[in-house]
Amino acid sequence: MTAVPPKPGQAMNIGTMVRVSTRKPEVHCRTPSYLRGASGVVDEVVGFYRDPSLLAFHKPGLPMRLLYRVRFRHRDIWPNYMGNAADSILADLYGDWLEPIQEQSNGQA
Amino acid sequence: MDRKVNDVGGLPREGALHLEEHPVTLHEKRIDAMLMLLTSPKVDAFKVDALRRAIEHHTADDYRKFGYYDKWIRAVRDLLIEQSILTAAEIDARIEQLKARRAGGAT
Repeated sequence: MTAVPPKPGQAMNIGTMVRVSTRKPEVHCRTPSYLRGASGVVDEVVGFYRDPSLLAFHKPGLPMRLLYRVRFRHRDIWPNYMGNAADSILADLYGDWLEPIQEQSNGQA
Repeated sequence: MDRKVNDVGGLPREGALHLEEHPVTLHEKRIDAMLMLLTSPKVDAFKVDALRRAIEHHTADDYRKFGYYDKWIRAVRDLLIEQSILTAAEIDARIEQLKARRAGGAT
């Protein structure tokens, strides 16, 4: 299925810090539990797709949902991660599972 | 946390993962072909999202016990019944027919 690109202002910018929601998942949910509550950075805006939680029940899947590719550091996900601190994983997550994190204005990037 | 049977990322497990590939069997190719046809735009019996949802409804025991393509074919069966394309009785009858044919020596 092809993604529909978002119009200006519809998507979070690449580089936005986000936290994955810890809400109760839909019956068919594409957000893995190991990422719920984790913080990451938007790496790519993939586009709008028909809603898989509705397609799963033979519905048209509308309204469409905006899919992001989010980068997480493994050390932020796994307790006692022994690998390189820079090791990361990319996950495709729908926007309604992501909350932008307000960056503190302490002058640091 | 609300976790489905398929949502196993990060769970502790006994022993190492089996990472070896095996050649795809004819049985697996047939299951794959069946799914591709059923989800093709022309047939559109259901979407792959429904297949995933049906697999998620398997019991934890079944999810552990069955292989990748066996999970698919069980979900395909459930969805064909759910979508009123076939009845459980029709599928069972066909299985019995094929079993009888195999027992009779024909292929």
